[in-house]
Formats: sequence, structure tokens, C-alpha cells
Amino acid sequence: MLKINWFSPLPPARSGIAHFAMQILPVLAGRQEVVLWTDQDQVAPEVLRIASVVRYDPAAPPWREINNGAISIYHFGNHPDFHGGIRQVSLHQPGIVVLHDLCLHDLFFRLWVHSGRDRASYLAALERWYGAEGRQAGEAFCNGGISSESMALKFPLTREAVRGALGVITHSSRAFEELNETPACPIVALDFPYAAAEESRYRTWVAARSAAPGPPYRLIVFGYLGRNRRLGAVLEALAAIGKREQFRLDICGELWDEGQVRTQIERLGLSSIVNLHGFLPDDQVEQKLSTAHLAINLRYPSMGEASLSQLQFWDYGLPTLVTRTGWYTSLPEEAVAFVRPDHEVADIKAHLRAFLADPGAFRAMGECGRRSLIKNAPGRYIDAMAQFASEALRVSPRVSALALARRVGQDLSAWLHPDAGPYVLERASKEIFTVFEGH
Amino acid sequence: MKIIVATSSVPFIRGGAEILADNLRDAFVAAGHEAELVSIPFKHYPPARIPDHILACRLLDLTETCGVRIDRVIGLKFPAYLIPHPDKVIWLLHQHRTAYELWDHPRAGDLIQCPDGPVIREAIRQADRELIPEAKAVYTLSKNVSGRLRRYSGIDSEPLYNPPAHAQLFYNGPAGDYFFFPSRITGIKRQWLAIRALAQCREQVRICFAGQADSPMQQAECVNIVRELKLSDRVEWLGMVSEEQKRALYANCLAVIFSPVDEDYGYVTLEAMLSSKPVITCADSGGALEFVVNHQTGLVADPTPESLAQAMDSLWTERQNAAAMGEAGRARYQDLNISWANVVEKLLC
Repeated sequence: MLKINWFSPLPPARSGIAHFAMQILPVLAGRQEVVLWTDQDQVAPEVLRIASVVRYDPAAPPWREINNGAISIYHFGNHPDFHGGIRQVSLHQPGIVVLHDLCLHDLFFRLWVHSGRDRASYLAALERWYGAEGRQAGEAFCNGGISSESMALKFPLTREAVRGALGVITHSSRAFEELNETPACPIVALDFPYAAAEESRYRTWVAARSAAPGPPYRLIVFGYLGRNRRLGAVLEALAAIGKREQFRLDICGELWDEGQVRTQIERLGLSSIVNLHGFLPDDQVEQKLSTAHLAINLRYPSMGEASLSQLQFWDYGLPTLVTRTGWYTSLPEEAVAFVRPDHEVADIKAHLRAFLADPGAFRAMGECGRRSLIKNAPGRYIDAMAQFASEALRVSPRVSALALARRVGQDLSAWLHPDAGPYVLERASKEIFTVFEGH
Repeated sequence: MKIIVATSSVPFIRGGAEILADNLRDAFVAAGHEAELVSIPFKHYPPARIPDHILACRLLDLTETCGVRIDRVIGLKFPAYLIPHPDKVIWLLHQHRTAYELWDHPRAGDLIQCPDGPVIREAIRQADRELIPEAKAVYTLSKNVSGRLRRYSGIDSEPLYNPPAHAQLFYNGPAGDYFFFPSRITGIKRQWLAIRALAQCREQVRICFAGQADSPMQQAECVNIVRELKLSDRVEWLGMVSEEQKRALYANCLAVIFSPVDEDYGYVTLEAMLSSKPVITCADSGGALEFVVNHQTGLVADPTPESLAQAMDSLWTERQNAAAMGEAGRARYQDLNISWANVVEKLLC
């Protein structure tokens, strides 16, 4: 049994990662010894029932207590309030880093420049990983010359978060490879964990949907609806198809700019078929999802993150339109309908028309998604994570080896004649290898 | 043979390990060999620099001197025992203890208090696992050290006891009104435990402490406890004493207190036995337990002030019994046949 230090946002933090934690912590705590470390002011009572919760001061972490654990697991997203403290601990103590967002530029920018007013550290990190080009882009960004999306995609700063890590867990190998931010430690891509509903419950949802088979067909958009959720494109596409009266669109969740969305709905003449519901409690979410026919779950740009809402859609057996980007590219073709980022409106229109022509094909897509959730079972995730952590621990001396190699290289380059360099470096590197890897 | 005794030392700190290294070199010379001591300065903090010391040792070449082959290297202490040599024999005094059995010790554990402690601990363990088996043979200071090496690194070894310096000069004298506690003043030797025990004693027990403090802080900590417990008239701090003074203190004490945490070996026990004095030790004191037979050559207490106080009171009041235990200790030492000749023979075979 591993004794695990777990660092992540926890409920009631309004963070998807806190929800993620609640999906797997009950299972994890049943199989491993877990200590939940938090710098939050409050932790929900249900968390306290799962494992022991210990508060820490990010400025002075209690290393002795932390080091009583075998390994620390740090969860990273882009919110500085939730991940700033975790960053401070992980910077000093190597552990497993779980990347919930693959581009972490926003985190570092907000930590350093917004919160810390430390532009120098931000620019130094950009230069460390991307050279002079990174620093120049950072300066331009600070002066308002470049968009945050463009910075995040070109200079994701993910390597800054995984610097010195013992291992990295992502939820999409392809998206991570495309990012070209590979660290010098073991990496594994695990299927995002999700505890699917019991079959009997699923059957009640299917029955609810069958009771109102449509038309009109209910489309649903759900979650925190930022600019990258492409609501504008969805509305445009809906307005542009001839039989739009056969659809109803439910928009459920907080909108980044409700006024703008309402204006667009009116301008496109969609008021009679589009409803804005705002944030909904769980029981109403269930009602909406169980009576919907098609979900729209677009992201562009994507920070590479896995989508919990996608797994929820599948749990309800809902077919889904997704953007062919980031984590979504790894989803099976038969379980989702892809929308190309540069052909959004055209692709959405095509899919809506296809739906009207053959709703059964889309229903089969949703069922396929539901079946695929078996590989997302939290138990599988926990076992794979524990196995990966054990392996990372086994090779942890490499962290010391790399640090030592760096110091030796720096020292030698300061005084050694370049002609003598190769011989001495070879001797040193051979010995470093022998010490930490064996003969 | 040309022999290098390779060890490491902390500059300005001299303890049992340093004395052993000197004695081993002298024993080789006495046996007709050429022997030199090579001591690597070692600084154990910050932890991230410990691998630097390992690498420094690995890059040393002790195979020849001025074109003449060095026949054998005897490795004693971390990381000096990792110096490569085709005819190396390790006589392991101890591994880097805070990466092993002292990792989570409340006072001695230092690595555990550092953020990179776990990673450095694994690096040290990895180096030991991989590189100790390079040696032609692995001996250790005691059964205790062999047990740890087996438990933590999976390496078999043979314990090889050695006598204290000038063993033949220890003698017995009339038992005075004090217990003698000779050791470096440092957390794991637990002078503080003996002081707290003193406060629990029913009898007017006195303790004489001899030995250098590892740091002024360690000394101050003990002195403060004495002051806090109002024991100043029952405690004497002698600091560093000469070898002659030390032997006299042994000879004239009532008994010796030796209560360290998991000691590797413990010359104090052997010196007490050579002086025909009983030893009060603790159940977790490690190497001392290989020599102290409870109620025959000394007393083994639990590592609590209460238990230690009981043992101290017992010997303080039963002086004849204490004297008999001391004599039994001396006899036991003779039976163990501990000699440098035996050490030299084993290390060169």
C-alpha cells in the first residue's frame, strides 16, 4: 500500500478538478493510504469522510509530515487560486504531476504577473523554455500585443509545471505529444476517470428520452460557457438550417457574456427555440440531460484538458458534437461527431442535417459512448496511477542524477578548456550513470 | 601490501569512527604492511549536494601511486566506501543513517525535513545497492550494521568486531559515587534521556558526562534541561578529556550509562567491560545489545526516563551486584576474542 500525499482543489472549490477528485478519492482511499493536503479556507464535510485532510501553508510546507508519505501527487489546472499553493510545494518536492490542462501559460502568467507582480520570473520562465523568442512574446503579451489564447498555444509553459517531476500523468497522449512539451521523466496517459451510473438508472434516462422522441429534438450545451465553447458558431449554424424549428436548444450553465449571447439569439431570430437556463442544480441537470437528444460540447482553443462533461453526456447515452482538437482528438470516431475548428458552422450544420435525416444513427453513437465508459472506471484509473507512481519512485534517483549532471556540466564549462571537455564529461557522465543506474 | 584505508570525516569532528580508522591503519602497519589513511571531507547538507560527494568519490583513482600498485582499499564510511578499486574490501561502519533507519527519527532525521529529502534518500540507497557489491568482500562493524545492510540494501555481510584503542590500558578501580556517560554530545547519543531519568531517580544519583558536543546548540540544549530540572549539583560536564583521564573515569565510576539510538557498535560498552564496569543501556540502543547481557553484565532499560531511572537507582543501591556485573562483563570481553590481528587477517584474506 502506498501512502499518498494528494494535492488538488477540493470541494467546495468551484473547480472541475475538485469534482474530478471526488470521483476518484473514495476509490483511492479504499486502496491506498491517502492524506489530502489543502490550503483552502474551507473543505466540504463529505471530503473529511473520505480521508484525513491536512492544511498547509504554501510559504512554509511541513516537509517532515509531507515526507512521511511515499509520494506526492500534484494536480494542475490554470486557476491560480487553486493551484498556486500546489505549485509552491511541487517546485521543491518532486512528485507525480497530473496535468488537467495541457497549456499552463495562464496559470503562470496570473501567478507571477497578476497576483505576484513578478514580471521578471514570468519572462525568465519563457526564456528558459523558449529562448529569446519566448521572452519577446512575453513582453509583447504583457503590453497587450498578443492574445492570451495565442500565448497559451505557442508558449504553454507546461514544462515549467513538470520541472523536476518524478512522473507526469495526462489524459491524452496525442494532445500532449502535439504540444511538444515533453519532460525528462516518465509520462503516462490515463483515461479520464468517471464513475458511470448504474445500468438501471441509465435505463430510466433512456425511457425518459423515449417518452419524448421528438421532433422537436432537444440540443443541449452545458457547463461553464466561456468564449472557447463556440456558442456563436452553434447559434449561427442553427439559424442557417432550413428545419431549425425541429430543434430546441437548452443552454445550461454560466455564460461568459450573457448579454452578447442574448443579442445574438435575437438577431438570428432564434428566441423561440433557444432557452438560457443559467446555472442549474443537479436534479434539473439530470432532467435536461435525460430528455436531450444531442449534446454540443465544442472547445476552441482547447488547453488540452479532458472534458468531464463529455463523459457525463456519454453516461446519459447522448451523442455529442466535439471539436477535433486537444483531448477530443483521441475520442473514438464512432462515439462522437467531429467539428473542424476552421469549418465550425459548416460542420455543425452538416451534423444537424444528418441528425434530422437519421436520428437512430446518432442514438447509436451515444450508446457507443456509454459503452466506452467502462475504460474510464475510477478503479482502473486508480490502479494504473498507483502502478505508475511505484514505477516513478523506482526511477526517482534519476532526478538526482540529472541535477548532478547539470551541476557538473555548469562547473566544468566555467573553467575547462573545450578540448578537454569531452574526456572529463564522459568520465563524469559515465560515473553518474553507474551510481544511479548501476553497471 | 600497500593498503589504503578510505574513510570520510567531518572536519573538526572526531569520534569513534575516526579513532577506528587510525587504529586500523596502525594495525596494518604493525602487521608489516604499508598503510595510509585517505579521508574524504564530507558535508551532509544541503541534501542535494550529497550526490556530489558520491560522484567525487567515484572519480578518485586509488589503483596506483607513482606507478606502484595499491594492493587493497578498505572502505569504511559513506561515501568513501564507494571509491572504486579492483581489490576493495568494505568494512562498513555504517551507511548514511538518515537515509535508512534514522530517516524518521524525531531528533536525528534531517533528510526527512527537506523537500527533496525523499529523492536524495532514494539516490543514496540506489548508490549503495548498486556499488557496495563491487567489493570483493563486505564486513561490517557489528551484527546490528549487518542486519541493517541486509534489511535495507539486500546485501549479506559478516560482522567483524574490533577492540577499542589501547584496550590493554583499561583497568578497574574502586567504585565512586557517579555514573559515567562518555559520548559525543549529540541528539542520537541521548544525553538528554539520562538527564531526564536523573530527575526521576529516587536516589541522589550523579552523572559525569565526558565528550565534545557536535555543536554549541547541542551542548546548550542539555545544559538547559539540567537547569530546568534543577539538577546542576548532580551533573558534571567534563568536555573533552584525555585518554588517561577517560580510563580513570571508567575505572572509578559505579557504572557506565550508554543509551544511544540504535548505535552501530559502541566502544563505550567494550571500554566499560574492559574496566569491569556494568553498563546501563536501552532496548533500542543497537550495537550495545550485542555485548550487554541483561542482569549479568549490565541492565537493559526501556528508552524512557522512568525505566532508565529505575535501572540507575538499582545499581546505585546494589553496589555489590554492580561490581559482580562489571566482573562478568570483563570475562565476557575476554571470551569474545576481539583483536586487531583478527581484523587484519579477515580484511586482507
